[in-house]
Amino acid sequence: MLKVLQKALQIIVQIIFIWGFLLIGTWLSAALHIQIPGSIIGLLLLFICLKAHIIKLAWVDAGASFLTGELLLFFVPAAVGVIQYDEIFGIIGIKLIVVIVLGTVVVMASTGVVAERFAKGDVAK
Amino acid sequence: MMIAASLVGTILIFYASKWVYAHYQKIWLSPLLICPLILVVVLLATHTSYAQYNSGADLLSKLLGPATVAFAVPMYKNYDLLKKNALAIFASLLIGCAVAIISSLVFALLAGLNNEMVNSLVPRSITTPIAMDISNLIGGEPTMTAVFVIVTGLTGSIVGPLVIRIFRFRRAASKGLLLGMGAHGCGTSKAFEFGELEGTFSSLAMIVAALVSIVLSETFFPYLSKILLS
Repeated sequence: MLKVLQKALQIIVQIIFIWGFLLIGTWLSAALHIQIPGSIIGLLLLFICLKAHIIKLAWVDAGASFLTGELLLFFVPAAVGVIQYDEIFGIIGIKLIVVIVLGTVVVMASTGVVAERFAKGDVAK
Repeated sequence: MMIAASLVGTILIFYASKWVYAHYQKIWLSPLLICPLILVVVLLATHTSYAQYNSGADLLSKLLGPATVAFAVPMYKNYDLLKKNALAIFASLLIGCAVAIISSLVFALLAGLNNEMVNSLVPRSITTPIAMDISNLIGGEPTMTAVFVIVTGLTGSIVGPLVIRIFRFRRAASKGLLLGMGAHGCGTSKAFEFGELEGTFSSLAMIVAALVSIVLSETFFPYLSKILLS
C-alpha cells in the first residue's frame, strides 16, 4: 500500500514538473509572438534539457509514461462536447462524417506508403 | 459536488470501457467511442448541460498540455532511430499534410459543403490548438474545427489499424507516422498500443505535421483554394 502511494506521489510530482515546461513554453509563445503553441515549445525545451543532461530521465520518466499512456482519457471531455453542435447531425453531418472518414483513410494511406518506402533500421515484423 | 461527480464519473467510465475493450478486442469498442457515448447518455438522462459536466471534466482536457510536452521522453529515448529515419519522416509527413489539404478541399467540394465548412475541415488532422489557429488563418470557424479534430481522432483510431492491415505496412515507422499524421494524439495513443517504437514515431509525426501544416496553410493552401473554390 505504501509503495502504491509512493508511486502515485512520484507521478503527481513529475506531472507538475512537466507542467512547468508547458507554462514556460506558453509564456515564450506569447512573449515572442510565435504561432507555435506552448505545448510544442515545452516539448522541445524538455527534449533539449534531457539531451543536454540538464535534467535526468528519472526525474520525468514515470510522470511522462503516465501522461502518454493515458492520453485517450484526456480526449474524452472534448469528444463528449460534440453534442453541443447541431451541425454534426442530419444530412450535413452525414456528409461531414463521410468527408472525414475518406480524407483520413487517404491521408493515412499516402503517409504510410511514403514512410514504408524510405523507413529503415527498425525490425520488420 | 458536480465537479467531483463529472471528474470521477468520467475516469470510472473510461477505465470500465478500457477493460471491456481489452477483454473483447473489437475495434468499434474503442474507449474513445464507448466512453463518450455512455457519458452523453448519462448527461441526457440526468438533464445535465455540457457546461456543468465540463466544469469538472475540464481538468482532464487540461492534462493534454503536459501530455504533449511528455512526448519529449519517448523521443529522447529513441533519438537515434528517429535520426536514422529523418528522410522517411519528412517525406511522408510532407505528403501527408499536402494530401490532408487536397483531400479536404476535393471531398468537401464534391459533398457540396460551404466554403466556411471546407476551410474548417482542412486542418482537422492536426492537434487542436494549432488546428484552431490555422482554421482562423484560412477563413474557417475555429470552434467547428475543434469538433472536426476530435471526430477525426476518433475516426483515425478506428480506421488506422484497418489501413495498416489492408496495405500490409510492416515497419514501426510507417505505422506510427501514419497514425500520428492522420489522427494526432488519438492516433498516437493507438500507436502506443502497437508498441513503444510506433508510439514514438507517431508522437513525432503529430508535432512535425503540425509545423508543416502551418507552413503549407500559408503557402500551398491559398493557391489551391483559389483554383478550386473560384
